[in-house]
Amino acid sequence: MIMLIPLEYNGPKMQDYRCSAQCTWCDGCGDYGIWTAVKRALVELRIAPNQVCLCFDVGCHGNGSDKLTGYRFHGLHGRVIPFAAGAKLGNMKLPVIAFGGDGASFSEGIGHLVHGIRSNYPITFILHNNANYGLTLGQASALTRQEQKMNSSPNGIPEHTLNSMDMVFALEPTFVARGFSGDIPQLTKIFKAAIEHQKHGFAFVDVLQACPTYNFFATHEYLLGKCYDANADGHNPRCEPSKARALAINTSEKIATGILYQCEDAPNFYERLKPRNGKKTTLVEEVKECDVEEFMKKLV
Amino acid sequence: MSRVALKIVGAQGQGVNSIGEICAKGLKRAGYCVFGYREYMSLIKGGHSCYQLDISDCRIGSSETKVNILVALNHHGLNKNAGEVKDSGIIIHQTPQWEFPSDADADLRKRNVTVLYLPAEDILKKIKGKAILGNMLTVSAVWSLLGRDADDLKKLVREQFERKGEELVQMNFRCIDEGVTFIHDVVGAGHALPIQPIALPPANSQLKSNMLITGSQAMGLGLIRGGCRFYAGYPMTPASPLLTFIADAQNDTGMVVKQAEDEITAAQMMSGAMYMGTRAATGTSGGGFDLMTETVSLNGIVENPSVFILAQRPGPGTGLPTWTAQGDLLLAIGSAHGEFARCVISVSDAQDCFDLMPEAFNIAEEFQTPVIVMTDKHIAEGLFTQERFDQEKTKIRRGNLITDPKQLKKLKSHDRYDPATTDGISPRWLPGADAATYCAQGDEHDAEGAVNETAKNAAAQMEKRMRKMEALKKMLPEPTLWSVESARLPPACRQGRAGQGKWKVANDDSELDLLVVSWGSNKGAIRDALATFGFQLSVGYLHYTYLWPIKTDRLQSLMKKAKRTVLVECNAQGQLGMVIKMASGIDIKDRILKFDGRPFFCDELSSLLSAAPAIRHP
Repeated sequence: MIMLIPLEYNGPKMQDYRCSAQCTWCDGCGDYGIWTAVKRALVELRIAPNQVCLCFDVGCHGNGSDKLTGYRFHGLHGRVIPFAAGAKLGNMKLPVIAFGGDGASFSEGIGHLVHGIRSNYPITFILHNNANYGLTLGQASALTRQEQKMNSSPNGIPEHTLNSMDMVFALEPTFVARGFSGDIPQLTKIFKAAIEHQKHGFAFVDVLQACPTYNFFATHEYLLGKCYDANADGHNPRCEPSKARALAINTSEKIATGILYQCEDAPNFYERLKPRNGKKTTLVEEVKECDVEEFMKKLV
Repeated sequence: MSRVALKIVGAQGQGVNSIGEICAKGLKRAGYCVFGYREYMSLIKGGHSCYQLDISDCRIGSSETKVNILVALNHHGLNKNAGEVKDSGIIIHQTPQWEFPSDADADLRKRNVTVLYLPAEDILKKIKGKAILGNMLTVSAVWSLLGRDADDLKKLVREQFERKGEELVQMNFRCIDEGVTFIHDVVGAGHALPIQPIALPPANSQLKSNMLITGSQAMGLGLIRGGCRFYAGYPMTPASPLLTFIADAQNDTGMVVKQAEDEITAAQMMSGAMYMGTRAATGTSGGGFDLMTETVSLNGIVENPSVFILAQRPGPGTGLPTWTAQGDLLLAIGSAHGEFARCVISVSDAQDCFDLMPEAFNIAEEFQTPVIVMTDKHIAEGLFTQERFDQEKTKIRRGNLITDPKQLKKLKSHDRYDPATTDGISPRWLPGADAATYCAQGDEHDAEGAVNETAKNAAAQMEKRMRKMEALKKMLPEPTLWSVESARLPPACRQGRAGQGKWKVANDDSELDLLVVSWGSNKGAIRDALATFGFQLSVGYLHYTYLWPIKTDRLQSLMKKAKRTVLVECNAQGQLGMVIKMASGIDIKDRILKFDGRPFFCDELSSLLSAAPAIRHP
C-alpha cells in the first residue's frame, strides 16, 4: 500500500477523528476494520470531521457512533437511509454517509433500501453485513444461511436466504461495491470511491464482516480464503449491469470484491428536481420569511 | 345575522365540486362571506357527494343542517336530501318525469318547497352543448334564483376559461343565458308554486377582496411563509390536499417536495432535513401518524426540532376516511414511547392555518423538540372566506441556533447536551459548521452525545429534557376567550340588531351566563351558534389553540364565575376534557360530544346549547 499522505500536510489527520469513548465491540469484530477504513477514507479525501455527516442505524455498528468525531446521528433501527437522504437534500454541500446492518437494511428497513437505490439519493450507504443480528445476541437475519442454527431459530430459519446482490442489481443502482472487513486498504479505496460517487447518486457498499461471536459460517478465515479483488483481476466496473450482476451474485466458488458496478451518467435525485435547477444555495441557506403575495392574489 | 345555504348533491364525478366552486367564487366576489363544506365517500366515482355553501354578509365559519336551495344532479339526491330543504325553499333537479313518493311530496307541499325541473339535457341538445356544460347551466339557474346579475357570472367565466379559447367561453355564455331565461320564465309565468328569488342580505363590499381558501391551502401558505423548504408526505386523506398544494407550488417556491414510500420515510426525511438545519415538515392522518410515532420519540431524545401535521379523520382503523373527527388529541399528546417535551397545537380555521405554521417551526427550533400541529378534515377541506394574511406578523425565530463564526469556534462538543442548562435548552449548531462536532444520539447520552448508561447521567439528561416542557408551558399563551361585542351593549341599542354581534378577543374575565370550552374546527360552529344567543345571554367561547403542555388557570377563573360551562368536542370521550382534568383536576361534566363523522352544524349546536344541561355520554 502506498502512503498517500504527503509529509507537508495541513489537512485532516487520523487523530482528528479520534475521540475519547472506547470501542465496545467484541475482539475480532469486523467493525474495527470498517471503522478504521472509514476514517482513513475521509482523511485521504481531506474531509475534516466538521465537513461530514455520518448517520448510523441501530446495531453493533451503531455503537460506533460515538467512537469517532464528525457530525453524527444515531437513530432508529432500519431507518437510517431516509434520514440520511433528508439530511443530504437539506445540504447538498456536505458529504453524507449512512451505515446500517443487514438486519436493519434487509428486514426492518428493506423498503427504504429499495427506494433509496431507486431514488438514486446522493448519499453513500455502507452495509455492515455480518449475516445476523449481533446486538440482540445472534438471531437470524434475511442474509443468514438457511441451515444455520441461530438464537430463536433452533432448527435454522424456514425462509430461504435473500440474495441481496441480486435484489440490489434489480433496482438499477448506479454504484455497487463489495468489500471485506479484513482488508482495510481495499475497503479504504472502495469507501473513497463510494463517497466521491455521491455526486452521481446512491453508492451501495456491501461489507462482508466477521462476527466472531455469532457467525460461525462466514468467519474471518472463511472470507479471507474466498474473497478476491475483482478489480485487480481485471474487472472494469463501468461495464454492462448484467455482467456486474452475474459477478456479484455468483459466490459459490469465490467472492468478487472491489467496485463491481459504477455508472456516472444518470442524474442523482436532487438533479432530477425541477424546482432546484440552477439553484446555487442549499435548503439550509434558504430559511427565511417567503413572500406569498402572488399565491394570495390567485385566491381572491 | 342573516344567512342562506345552498347545497349541490350528486354522484361523485358529476360536477358537484365545480358547481360549488364557481358559485362560491362568484358570491364571494359579489361581497359575501362563503363557507364551503364538502361531504363525499371514499371512492373516485359514483358515490353520493355534497357541496354546501353557507352565505352571509357577516363572517361565518360553519354550515347549517337545512338549506334554502338544493341542487340535485341525480334522483338519489332528490330522495336523500329533499328533507333538508327549509320551508319555502327551492329544489332544482334534472331528472325527467320525477315524482316524489306521496309522503315526501305532501311534506314538501306543506312546507311550501318549490320543486323545479331544469330540462338540462333538452337545453344542451338545443344549443349543441356537451354534457359537461350542464354544470354552467345549473350554476346560472342558481345564480338567477339568488337574484344575481348574469354579467358578473360571465366575467368570472371569461376569467376561468379564456385561456381555453373563445369558443368555450361563448358556449358557457349561452348556457348562462339559457339558465337565466329558464328561471325568468318560471318566476314570471305564474308557476304552480309561485317562487321568489332567495333573498340574500345586502352585500358587504369589504369581503370582495377576500380570498376563498381551503384550510389546506392556508396551511401550505403558512408553511411557505415560515421558511419551510422541504416537505415529505405519503398520500392519506385528509392530509393529501396539503401535499398536493405544496407539490403544485414547488416550481414557484423552489421547495423540495417528496412523496415518500411510507409515512416512516416521510417522518425520517423531515427529521434529517431539520437536523441538517433547514425547515421541513411532514403531514399525515391518524393511521400514518401511528407509523411516525417512533420518529417523534427519536426527535425527543436527540432534541431535534421537528414538525408533524396530524390531519384527523374518524378512526379506529381505516374508519371513515373522508369524514371528520377530533379523536386523535390523546394520540398526539400521548404518542411515542418514553417521556419528553413536545408541543401540541391545533388550528381552527384558515387564519390559524396560516399563522400557526411559522409558529410551529419557531417553537420546534426554540425548544428543539417535536411539535405536532393538529387539523381535521373539516378544516383541511373546508372553504373559508379569508382576509389576506398579514405577512408582517410572521417572524422567524430560531432559538438558540449558533451561526456566528466566532461563537462557533468557542463551542465544545459537550455544549450540545450539557444538562446544566437552566431551561434545558442547549446551544444548537448545524452539521458543516466550523466547530467542535457532536453526536445527535438516539441512545441515552452524555453532554456530547456519547452513549452513557450510568444512573446519574440518565437522570440528569431526563431532567434536562423535561425542563424544556416547563419552559415551553411558561411561554405558551393561555386559551383565547372570544365574546360577542354587542352582547355588552345596553338593551336599548340591541333593538333590531339581533345576531349581528361581532366576535372579538376578550380580556375581560367577568361573569358569563354561558362559557363554552372547545378546540379546533368547532370554533366556527360555536361562534355562529353563540351569535344567536348574543342578546339574551352573556356568552364566552374559550378556545384552546395550545393543547400540550396545557394551561388551565384562565379556564379555572372563568369557570368559577360562569353560570354554566359546556365542553364541546367531536369525539366520544371528551378528550380535551380528559386532558384538562388530568392537568388540573377540573371536571367539565356538561358536555356536548359528537362522533358520527360530521362536524357540528351551527343550528344543531345552538339548539344543543339551549337544551337543559345534560351529560351526554358516548
